[in-house]
Order: sequence, then structure tokens, then C-alpha cells
Amino acid sequence: MRAGRRPSAAMTVAYVALALYAAVSLYPFAWMVSAAFKDRLEVLEGGHLVPRRPTLDTLVDTWGRLNFFDYFLNSVKVTGLTVLGVLVIYSLASYAFAMIEFPGRRFIFWFFVALLFVPSITVLLPLTILENRLGILGTHLGLVLPFVNGTAPLTVLMLTNAFRAIPGELHDAARADGAGEVRIFLKVYLPLARPTLITVAVLTAVPTWNEYVLSRVSLNDESRYTLPLALEALASGNVPQNNEIMAGSLILVVPVIVLFLALQRYFVNGLMGAVKE
Amino acid sequence: MPRPGKARQWLVGYAFIAPAVVLFLVMGLYTLGYSVTLSFAKWNGFSPSWDWVGLDNYRDILYADPRLAPDVWNAAVHTGAAMVVVAGGTVLIALPLAVLLNSIRRLRGTLRSVFFLPYVTTGIAVYYAWRYVLEPDGAVNMVLRSLGLGSLARPQGFLGDPDTALGTLIVIMIWGSVPVAMLLYLAGLQAIDPSLMEAASIDGAGGVRRLRHITWPLLVPITVAILLLSVRDTMQGFQIFLIMTNGGPAGHTDVLGLTAYQQAFMQSMSPTLGVASALGWLIFVAALVLAVLNARLLRGTR
Repeated sequence: MRAGRRPSAAMTVAYVALALYAAVSLYPFAWMVSAAFKDRLEVLEGGHLVPRRPTLDTLVDTWGRLNFFDYFLNSVKVTGLTVLGVLVIYSLASYAFAMIEFPGRRFIFWFFVALLFVPSITVLLPLTILENRLGILGTHLGLVLPFVNGTAPLTVLMLTNAFRAIPGELHDAARADGAGEVRIFLKVYLPLARPTLITVAVLTAVPTWNEYVLSRVSLNDESRYTLPLALEALASGNVPQNNEIMAGSLILVVPVIVLFLALQRYFVNGLMGAVKE
Repeated sequence: MPRPGKARQWLVGYAFIAPAVVLFLVMGLYTLGYSVTLSFAKWNGFSPSWDWVGLDNYRDILYADPRLAPDVWNAAVHTGAAMVVVAGGTVLIALPLAVLLNSIRRLRGTLRSVFFLPYVTTGIAVYYAWRYVLEPDGAVNMVLRSLGLGSLARPQGFLGDPDTALGTLIVIMIWGSVPVAMLLYLAGLQAIDPSLMEAASIDGAGGVRRLRHITWPLLVPITVAILLLSVRDTMQGFQIFLIMTNGGPAGHTDVLGLTAYQQAFMQSMSPTLGVASALGWLIFVAALVLAVLNARLLRGTR
């Protein structure tokens, strides 16, 4: 820093302000964790963040007796299939939009992107009617298909940009060697687009894992519930206990937090790359 | 006729986009078409046929129905307020946060991860956690009382009190939308050529002037993007309202998306499905108009 001593005072102010906002960011999580480790009686006392009689019983109970393990598996299945579908379907489409000439290419591309502004509430009702006719309403497939389709605008935009950013000479060289488009796509372009693919995977997985509204209006069978619905059922029971609700909430948020921390390097770089274009 | 090679290439292209297009035709186009058509009819979801009513649903929503129209306008006012405050608040918090984060070396990565938690977890779990701390005996009231600010505490809880419910939800929405905005600003800041800053400070431009005349103009496109996303999310999103207050207390947190949801799913046998669809399309048009205006205005100030 050039201006002598002054920056260190400025630095202190910066760190204090940042620490304050970190506290704001963490605030509800701190209380979530706190309540999840309290027992029935202590959670009613309220007021203190650090549990006086910390217990694992609440979490163990919620995980086992309240079947959260099954709901967790349902959530993993729905989120996993959605991410897989998005990656396969839209990396193929985006590759074509970026690299293969065919009539209507630009029109179809912009059509996909324009859908970004269609509100989900507008199609929610027709979607349930359609799925009812197709016989998939209330199944996990009935969630995965619209979830995949819902990510189309942003995913197509990001992946098409990523494929375009890869030097075209690679494509021409591979063609000259006699490789077909499928081979070039699988062996050359897909590996090079890995950071964007991971960004897309995280951007898909996070909202899918947390999705509530479509699941709420379509799932009836309790054995098919995902974690958000299980949590809601827990909170609207006869005698909702805050320690159990917070334990359920913790079970819901921990997997996405772990996923994000593990992949954040790619995720952050991918989002930042999108800004620079 | 194109050359055989060309035709083959076209076919390959169409084959690549086929899964995406088929999925869209089934899940997207059909539902969009259905929704547009239904917005010109009255239907309760069970009777075998629709009653065609032309533009009546739109008229009912905007002025004709003496019970529905005032509810919609009430919800529109709340939606508008939330939209303006969330968009403004997000920018006002995210930009300084990004500037500060960009100015430090140590702990930058850790703090960025911490700041990002609200985005990663936005959903029912976090809304329940907020509801828990905002209860009448919750942590927020406790803190206020222990700081001697007991007059700010809300005995009915922040979500049960008509004066604070909407404001509280808006604060939580800002809390949830700051992370992505901050990250986008951070990316913008890191893309600024350092030699530009160097030159400006040699010419005697102080921190504030550099921020105003160099940094800010370069961040306008990012601000436009953030405001667009924010307007879209607030116009369309009603999940937080559905989970935390369901419009209560007494309609003080009704928003347009929630009203459309209730018309579509909570009216059992009344023929309100057409109204729900029409309201959905009005929300779409409003969001689109606002987004375009927004972008125009901001680009103009550059």
C-alpha cells in the first residue's frame, strides 16, 4: 500500500465491517445448530446460544425415528437425476448451438434463452394437469423432468458461451483427422468445458435440493417426500418442537453446504468467467 | 438441395438438440399454451368443460371483481415495495462488501465462503431458522431487550406484527440475494485493469473519486444484471411468503405470486383457475416491462 500508515487503519475498518456481515450471514445458522443440539426442555428456555446440556439425541431421533434418512435418499435421487439430465441434455444442445451449422440455429438458441423470464407460477398449474394425464404426477420423474427443463435458459447460455470460448482450431484439426462430431464433443470439448459443467451442476443442484413449491403441489405419497417436504410435515405436526425442526433443517442444509465448499473453486471461477464475457 | 455433407451435418446438429427440444415441447410449450388458453376461461379443475369468458379474467383482476381486484392491488403494492427495496438494498450492501473483500488479502476466501452460505441454503430450512429466531421469545427479541432496546422488540414476534412482517421478510430476501450480487461485483472489480487505478492515483484522484469515476462506470453492466435478476426473482418468487407468513397477518404480506398460487391451488371447487393463469401472465408482462425499463434507465446514466 502506498500511502504510508493510513491504510492499516482503513484495513481495520474493512475487517471489522466484513466480520460484522459474516456474523449477519451466519446468524440463523448459529441458532439452527444451537437448537438442534438442545433437548426438548432446554429449547423452550431460549435465550442462550451455546447449549448447557448439549445432546445428540435430537439429531439421532430426527434422522432415524422420523425417517429423515429415507427422505434424504429421495432428495439425493431427485437432485442427482436432475443434475445428470441437465448436464447430458444441455451440453449436447449447447455444443450444437456453438459448433454445428444448421438452419434455425440462432432462432432456437434465443428461444431457449428468452424463456428465462417466464414465471414458474404461470406454468405450475398446467404442469400438474399435464403430469396427471401422463401418469407421472407425484412421482420423482414428475419432479425431475420440469426441473431439468426449468434450468434450460441459463444452462444453455452458459454452456454455449463456454464451448464458443474453446479455440475453433481444435475442432478443425479433429475434423481433419477424420473424427466425427460425437467424438470431438466427447473427447475434446466436454473435458475442456469441465469448469463450466461443474458450475452448471452446482447452480442446478442447489435450488433443486431446496425446491419446495412444485414438490408441495405434486407429491402426496409420504414415502416419496424429499427433505423440504419432510421438514414441512415435521413443522406442521401436532406439537412442533423447535429443536426437532432445527435438527431437520440442519440435516437439509449440511449436504448442500458440503457440496458447495467442495466445489466452490470451480463454481466461483465459472460465475466470474460468465461476468467477464 | 444442399450438398450431402451439409445435409448430414444438419442432421447431426438436429440430433444434438433433439432431447432438449423434445423436453421443451412437452414440459414447456404445452404448459405455456395451456396456461394462455386457460386465462380466457373459467374452470374449477374438475368440470368436463371450460366456460369461455374472453378477457373477463383480466378485467376481474384489474378492476371488475369487487373482492379480487382490491386484494390483487394490495398484493401488487407489497410486491412493488419488496421489489424496489430488495433490489436497492442488495446493491447497497453487495457493492461495498465486494469492494472491501477485494481490498483485503488475508481471509478473503474464507469470508467469501461465509458470505455465500445464505445463497446455498436459501429455502425452507433457512426460512424456518429465521422464523425461530424471530418468534416472540426468539433470539432477536432477546438480544434487543438485553441491549436495552426493549422498545424495538416485538411481543407478537416480528412476523406476527402487522407493522414489521413485510419489512422483516424484505430484510431476509436481501440477506438471501446479497451473495450472488457480491460475487458478480467481485468478478467485475477483479476484471478492472490495475494500471488504470495506478494512473488515476498518480493524477491525484482519491479513493472516492476513483470509485465514482472509474470503478462505478465499469460496474454498471453488472448492476443492470443484478437488478434484472432481483426484479425477476421478487416478481416471481413467493416461496418465502408461502412458507413464513402465507400472506398473514391479515393480508399484510400478500404478494402477487402468492395470490396466483392461492387462486390456482387453494380454492377447491370455485372456478378460479383461469384467473390464476391470467394473473400469472400479468406478472410476466409486468416483470418484462420493468426489466426493460430498468436496463434502459441505468444504461442512460452511464
